[in-house]
Amino acid sequence: MSSRVLPVFDLLLPSNLEEAVGLLSQHGDQAAVMAGGTDLLVGMKVGMSPAFILSLADIQGLDYVAFDAKHGLRIGAMATLSQVVDSKVVNDKYHALWYSAFTNGTPQTRNAGTVVGNILRASPAGDCCCAALAHGGSVLLQGPAGKREVDLDEFWLDYRKTARKPDEVAVELKLKAPEHGYGSGFAALTRSYQDLAKINAAARVIMDGKVCRKVRLAMGAVAPITLRLKEAEKVLTGQEVTDQLLEQMAAAVRKEVKPIDDVRSTAEYRREVAGVLAKRVVQDAIKSVAGPCPYSCFMGA
Amino acid sequence: MSDFKVIGQRVPKVDARRKVTGHQEYADDLRMPGMLYGKIVRCMEYAHAKVTKLDLSQAAKAPGVVKVLGPKDVTQKGYNSGVLDLMVPEPVGQMLGDIEDQLVFTDHVKFQGDAIAGIIATSEEAAERAAELIQVEYEPLPVYLTAEEAKKPDAVQFTPLKPGNLAFALPIQMFPDGAAYAWGDSEAGFAEADLIVEETFTLPKVKQCQMEPHTYVARYGDGGRLNCWTSTQMPKCIHNKLARLFELPMSRVHVIQTTVGGGFGCRLGMIAEPQVCAMAMAVQGKPVKVSLLREEDWLGSESRHPGKYKMKIGFKKDGTPISMDAHWISEGGGYYTHASGVQFTLGAWLAGTYKWTNFRFKGDRYYTNTTPCGAYRGYGNPQNNFAMEQLIDRALNQLGIDKVEWRKKWHKTVGDDGWCMGVTYASCGLDECLDKGAKAIGWEDKIKKYAKQTGSKRRGVGVAVMTHTSGAMPMLLEHTTCTVKINEDATAELIFSCSDLGTGAHTSLQQIGAETLGFPLEDVHVRAQDSDISGFDIGAHASRTLYVGGSAVIEACEDAKRQILERAATALEANQDDLVMENKKVFVKGSPDKSIDVATICYQGVYNWVMPDTGNWIGIPGQIQGYSSYFAKHNSPPWSACFVEVEVDTETGQVKVLDCVAASDVGKAIHPPSVEGQVEGGIQQGFGQSCMEAMIYDEKGLCLNNTFADYRMFGPSDMPKITNILVEEHDPFGPYGAKSAGEGGQVAPTGAIANAIYNALGIQFTEGPITPERILKAIKEKGLQA
Ligand SMILES: Cc1cc2nc3c(=O)[nH]c(=O)nc-3n(C[C@H](O)[C@H](O)[C@H](O)COP(=O)(O)OP(=O)(O)OC[C@H]3O[C@@H](n4cnc5c(N)ncnc54)[C@H](O)[C@@H]3O)c2cc1C
Repeated sequence: MSSRVLPVFDLLLPSNLEEAVGLLSQHGDQAAVMAGGTDLLVGMKVGMSPAFILSLADIQGLDYVAFDAKHGLRIGAMATLSQVVDSKVVNDKYHALWYSAFTNGTPQTRNAGTVVGNILRASPAGDCCCAALAHGGSVLLQGPAGKREVDLDEFWLDYRKTARKPDEVAVELKLKAPEHGYGSGFAALTRSYQDLAKINAAARVIMDGKVCRKVRLAMGAVAPITLRLKEAEKVLTGQEVTDQLLEQMAAAVRKEVKPIDDVRSTAEYRREVAGVLAKRVVQDAIKSVAGPCPYSCFMGA
Repeated sequence: MSDFKVIGQRVPKVDARRKVTGHQEYADDLRMPGMLYGKIVRCMEYAHAKVTKLDLSQAAKAPGVVKVLGPKDVTQKGYNSGVLDLMVPEPVGQMLGDIEDQLVFTDHVKFQGDAIAGIIATSEEAAERAAELIQVEYEPLPVYLTAEEAKKPDAVQFTPLKPGNLAFALPIQMFPDGAAYAWGDSEAGFAEADLIVEETFTLPKVKQCQMEPHTYVARYGDGGRLNCWTSTQMPKCIHNKLARLFELPMSRVHVIQTTVGGGFGCRLGMIAEPQVCAMAMAVQGKPVKVSLLREEDWLGSESRHPGKYKMKIGFKKDGTPISMDAHWISEGGGYYTHASGVQFTLGAWLAGTYKWTNFRFKGDRYYTNTTPCGAYRGYGNPQNNFAMEQLIDRALNQLGIDKVEWRKKWHKTVGDDGWCMGVTYASCGLDECLDKGAKAIGWEDKIKKYAKQTGSKRRGVGVAVMTHTSGAMPMLLEHTTCTVKINEDATAELIFSCSDLGTGAHTSLQQIGAETLGFPLEDVHVRAQDSDISGFDIGAHASRTLYVGGSAVIEACEDAKRQILERAATALEANQDDLVMENKKVFVKGSPDKSIDVATICYQGVYNWVMPDTGNWIGIPGQIQGYSSYFAKHNSPPWSACFVEVEVDTETGQVKVLDCVAASDVGKAIHPPSVEGQVEGGIQQGFGQSCMEAMIYDEKGLCLNNTFADYRMFGPSDMPKITNILVEEHDPFGPYGAKSAGEGGQVAPTGAIANAIYNALGIQFTEGPITPERILKAIKEKGLQA
């Protein structure tokens, strides 16, 4: 049974990252870090009961969305989904991420929830997780021994488990800088609008005319963690992208995914549409190389 | 009839301002001195089990706990959360086999969420913490989720009163023709048919999803009075039922209806009133609040009836529906509740819609280990619509007959038997609904255009029609009282027990009152919601409030108006028949200067003295009050046609609703925005039932989706643009020609969207909801027509 009443906890409100890390070294195993709280507080009504909540609310300067052409995109731990949706640079250059934030939850949860929180939540259905994995990048963690970066490819270990150590705070998400011929796309299937994904997919391509030079393909809700679909990527890499090739890729996708049945959908359905969704996000990504964000029609919606 | 002054006006709803500004108080907003908090302890781990040990001692010692209650600490009387027994004569209730098989707290758990104990504490938190300390041991029993399982000879019996776990079947005493609602000879009809279509449909178990979770406060005190604050749809039935359950005279039970945060049938009858009142009786003098969590609300309050619906229809080549044979078998959940009601009406809607030459319907309901089923908007009609309208379309495709034309030709109409044989339709605007709706959606063009399609996106259009009811006369009691009290300044209070579930009922009733009295709307005020103050009303169900309540308001206001005119006639020394009342003045026809203010009459009725100078009484003494105890004379069914256009993505099975046209004959639309709101909300729930919603149980009978995160409904962004056409076919029995609008809106959309998908893909879906998963699977198995 759930509860309207939150369990008892001590609220820790550090005013800088060093203090935060210090508190985590003390209480790490029993503490939960809170950014927007849209996931954490829901969890605490259905059984999660951390003795300490370490809120990042009082730490100044973590709510940035910053870009430079050399290093790429940096999203601070307290930058909300709404901030990312409102960011012109994300809309221009990181279409998949933009769209994954735009379709994420409701206006209320986007105003509170963060992109980094989405990544740290490590849900296999996480929309930003899927887009970020396609873009490629890393999570910057800060612990007692200082900072370290973990590649997104190695960040999620298992269902809702990350490489973050209990005494570390995630400081930012970094996404690689776009190269020439860069495009990306994201799609999710949901039961209704504003629902968690039954399945989601994202692609980032680097095109040379019609030839796909590089591709990263990510898919969510088809395994305990968001998956990189490396076999499917191999089908596309170095090839001219044709309908036939996309079909081959879709077939590879269906082999690579390991979906299950749950209340949102069935394994059979997920496997079937995995190929369709992969094709669509690759097509969107290719389309966006030349043109504007394929989802810009939603801007201001 | 266009000379109405108040009726038909788009005035703001009476509750709109308070609701949108957040000032409206709901039960959960109630705070009282010394208030305690109750927690109903529910069995969450089993759907069917015996409680073998219940040790409350640790919980009783927990901090803040005032009292713990087990099954033996409360009344041992049984009850039925439904209240149908109050609505039919006792012999009929006995014939139907209605029983009271629920207990306040049980030791035989019949579904996940069944109540086994209660805790009363000084805070909700303390009560919850104490609940964790209760030690319970269960003996698990076999779980029956389907009728097939429940009826097996060796199945555990839910109650000795219902052998074979058959809660209800149409009784042979009432339906001598083989215990079926029938006319003609359906077998002979099939022998004559040129085409027979036959199918078994599966209907999902769906929830009302009202916004406000069930919440109550009860206090036993005040010289032995039991007070209960509840957002029930039926305050007067609760009044009676609580008195019986706790063996108190009705004068010692006081029911205060709090703002109803959405009903849709889920507050029809008692939900947790028995538990909260039992708690209040255990801590005399202290108010106890019980506020259900969403998941408790989900499991512990009733759902729509799911089931299997076998249907066989015979047609002549020209489309004549020569025979209908249908058998509904419902999986009704752990208690009896509405077993007799829904199983009968489901067939009644089938009987009432089309001119079946021969007809036969059977309706059964089995006990299962799931949340008990009860009332949900439409009361059987949406389930019927999903099956009936789809199967008809299957036949029409084979016969090559247009679906709109066939419906126009074969729907029942004025003079035909309604859903209850012997009560004939008095008005019917369905032809106009079909014509206007077909035009608005572009039916003819789209049917042609979508006949041949290629590619991965397929479009389709579908139509369905429905008829419902306005009140349940003659099947159920249809009684509402209204008092109209005229104040000394010629303003009025309408006093009644009619509920407003957010539907706009009080606004419409206020408009009817103002229209009848000839008063401006702002001079009429509605006072409801307190059993001490207002008289009887059976409650908000069967789409009856405006229809029956409206007629009671008219009668009461006419009574008051007659008294005003009588006094005016005396004052003006005129014949009453020669008087006209307008703008709060009464004058003699033809001589407008011979007049008296209504305010003067009302004032003098209250402030009535002997004048010292003349020694005469002024005016006529006595405060004017009108009264009506109204029994409905008919059930004036409303009609509607719904048209839906969809696009199906054949690669993902996703359905996008592109357009929806609802054309509704509600008679006179007293408050058009409320009618439109009802229609739109109905469409949303109808689409949900057909395409998205279902309670999912695992094999142990545990519900897997008891929150809004796990159970999804159509939200605002999933809805298409809706064209809302009101066809106001005057009804001779309805108040100012009005028929009902409360439930009907949900019915036809269920069939129409299913038919649109059928039209798009050429594949018919017999199992609801028609999810992308089912669509994709069917496309894979059956293929698509090019
Ligand atoms: C109504 C609703 C709709 C939603 N819809 C979607 C949706 O469509 N798609 C989707 O992907 N998600 C959805 N979510 C889930 C969630 O809101 C989002 O994933 C959101 O991005 C989480 O961010 P947050 O800042 O609120 O995280 P929080 O709740 O603050 O944290 C989430 C998790 O990450 C950890 N964490 C957060 N920040 C840090 C940090 N800096 N360092 C270390 N650990 C950290 C927390 O300890 C916690 O375990 C929805 C949630 C709700 C309530």
